[in-house]
Amino acid sequence: MEAGPAPRPGVAWRLWALAPILVLAVVVGAFIARGASLIDLIGSNPPAADAFDIRRVEFQAGQIRIRVRNPQPEELTIASVTIDDAIVPFTLDGPATLKRLRSSTIVVAYDWVEDDPLSVGVTSSTGIETVGAVAAAIETPVASARGLIGYGVIGFFVGVVPVALGLLWLPSLRRADPKWLAAFMALTAGLLSFLGLESLAEAFTLQALLPGPLGGAGLVLLGVALSALGMTYLSSRLSRGRKGTAGLNLALLVAIGIGVHNLGEGLAIGTSFAFGELQLGTFLIVGFMIHNITEGLGIAAPAAEGPRATFAQLCALAVIAGGPAVLGTWIGGYASNDVLGVLFFGAAAGAALQVVVEVGRFVARRAPGGLRSGWVIGGYLAGIAVMYLTGLLVG
Amino acid sequence: MARYGLDSTARAAGQDHLNHGAVTQPATAHAAMGHAAMIGAGAPAVGGAHDLDALLYPPAALPYAPGRVRDYTLTATDREIEIAPGVFFPAWTYNGTVPGPVLRATEGDILRVKFVNAGSHPHTIHFHGIHPTNMDGVFEVVPSGGEFTYEFEAKPYGMQLYHCHATPLKKHIHKGLYGALIIDPKEPRAPAQELVMVMNGYDTDSDGSNNFYTVNGRTFYYARYPIRVKRSELVRLYLVNLTEFDLINSFHLHADFFRYYPTGSSDQFEYTDTVMQCQGQRGILEIEFSHTGTFMFHAHQSEFTELGWMGYFDVVD
Repeated sequence: MEAGPAPRPGVAWRLWALAPILVLAVVVGAFIARGASLIDLIGSNPPAADAFDIRRVEFQAGQIRIRVRNPQPEELTIASVTIDDAIVPFTLDGPATLKRLRSSTIVVAYDWVEDDPLSVGVTSSTGIETVGAVAAAIETPVASARGLIGYGVIGFFVGVVPVALGLLWLPSLRRADPKWLAAFMALTAGLLSFLGLESLAEAFTLQALLPGPLGGAGLVLLGVALSALGMTYLSSRLSRGRKGTAGLNLALLVAIGIGVHNLGEGLAIGTSFAFGELQLGTFLIVGFMIHNITEGLGIAAPAAEGPRATFAQLCALAVIAGGPAVLGTWIGGYASNDVLGVLFFGAAAGAALQVVVEVGRFVARRAPGGLRSGWVIGGYLAGIAVMYLTGLLVG
Repeated sequence: MARYGLDSTARAAGQDHLNHGAVTQPATAHAAMGHAAMIGAGAPAVGGAHDLDALLYPPAALPYAPGRVRDYTLTATDREIEIAPGVFFPAWTYNGTVPGPVLRATEGDILRVKFVNAGSHPHTIHFHGIHPTNMDGVFEVVPSGGEFTYEFEAKPYGMQLYHCHATPLKKHIHKGLYGALIIDPKEPRAPAQELVMVMNGYDTDSDGSNNFYTVNGRTFYYARYPIRVKRSELVRLYLVNLTEFDLINSFHLHADFFRYYPTGSSDQFEYTDTVMQCQGQRGILEIEFSHTGTFMFHAHQSEFTELGWMGYFDVVD
């Protein structure tokens, strides 16, 4: 038997590929025109849920701004607004009748009490009330140079500073015994596994809070796949012509993986602070610093291999890994971010887990005794344990 | 790690879905204005100035004439009513309104109420008063499409009420099947500006607690359209509570006092500015305003006040 060359598809067959789409359009058109009678065959439709999605409640002097979205398939009309179970006059910055997934901002003149919890209720024309609880009313920061610097400094302290400090371990690691170095590389993999899992859990929690049509495990997967595949592509570019990624290139991958995680972490800090859900005390910032210094160690371990990194390169690594925390606090503090939050945390998980694979391959190649050595296993477990224990400081 | 996002909750109810047009309210209010912003056009109330006249002003009392027949027809209908601006409630009504029409008779009259059930569920009319039990609206449930005529002597005098007594009772009452029944004494009461207020609530999302409170069916209606009365002239207010779910409701008058006759069936009164009623409790208030001006009245449950049960008397010379 002889395998001939595969026949080249002709133009006609390429056009045929469009046929399912065209037929689908016709069927959809027919169903829109006549579909109601089909549903009548089954029975009448249950009523729509009519709940709004309260996205954001902002407090300004003498004023509350409530951002609502219609997550329902049908139109939804904002009819009545309550603050703490009292009907209040309001104006709308946007339409009263919201089409699917459209948003409006309800503006209420209100003399709110600083630090008190408060509930807002939005009632649709069908009488369904959606209630959003605010843990503590605090003035929502508006974008100002002062606030921007404030968030920036917080992001700098929880992101860049600890990573940079962690990199100071580099000279010690360079002189370390290969067994110890393997252990620290495994520790890097352990702490990245921890961050990856933590990010994944956060992504799932956040998507569950989203209204049905916007949420879902698929959104998390999108974030995970985007970053994991992006990192895979980057890694193959960095290690082109060589077998596996090593040294500074691997350190760069680790830094990027940690950076994506810190973007999500900054986002969560910024948003929680803006919503009055987080007391951003000294203790918490110190906790984040101790928690994140291990991230610096994680970058230093692979950088200890191979050619010596320049000071500028090390600074760049610290900024890549820690800088996104600054960006995250800005986005979280000022912008609407529910869908972004899921994507970011999904991306953080994907990046971290992809880097774990890279580090694992590196350790398998280089470590004395490979992946099964006690140093590697112990290092990996130690990485998880260290992250868990320092995580207690920020829990 | 701290989570962000608001915990939003809402209950879906078995209600027809509606797409009504845009509704906005002018927020003439400033936060510091408080209730001053809740008067006239600033009050979130539905409709025109005289929409509720038939519910506020009772029919005139007739002189005592034993055996005279007073004919009324009450028709139960399912009707969607606008209770607050842009908020629609799928109500069950007597004659299309919540509360139902004000019925009136003089002691000794024969009340003959023809009941037509044009609603989609079985209903009855249960009157408070003294009458034979086969006229009590409990055992003779009128099916959808059916009719029944209640006939009995009107007694005793006082502020009475009527409501549906089909089961589930809670549902049949809170959906709107209730109204005021005034029975006048043989000896006519002193001439007065007479008013009727039926206190109620609406659970628009069917979660077992009210989202709105009103008198005569619409939130803040008498804040938007204050009730004009004359100083020093007798104002007689027939008050009844038909609020479901909440244990009590109340009436509080600002800046003056009134005589409160519980049930209005005796001469005994209390001199006060606040009365409390459980569901089905009622009474007559007699007020002679000492001053002119804008007199607030509302439930002295602040929550009810701020969810719609608040209004004003506009007292003039």
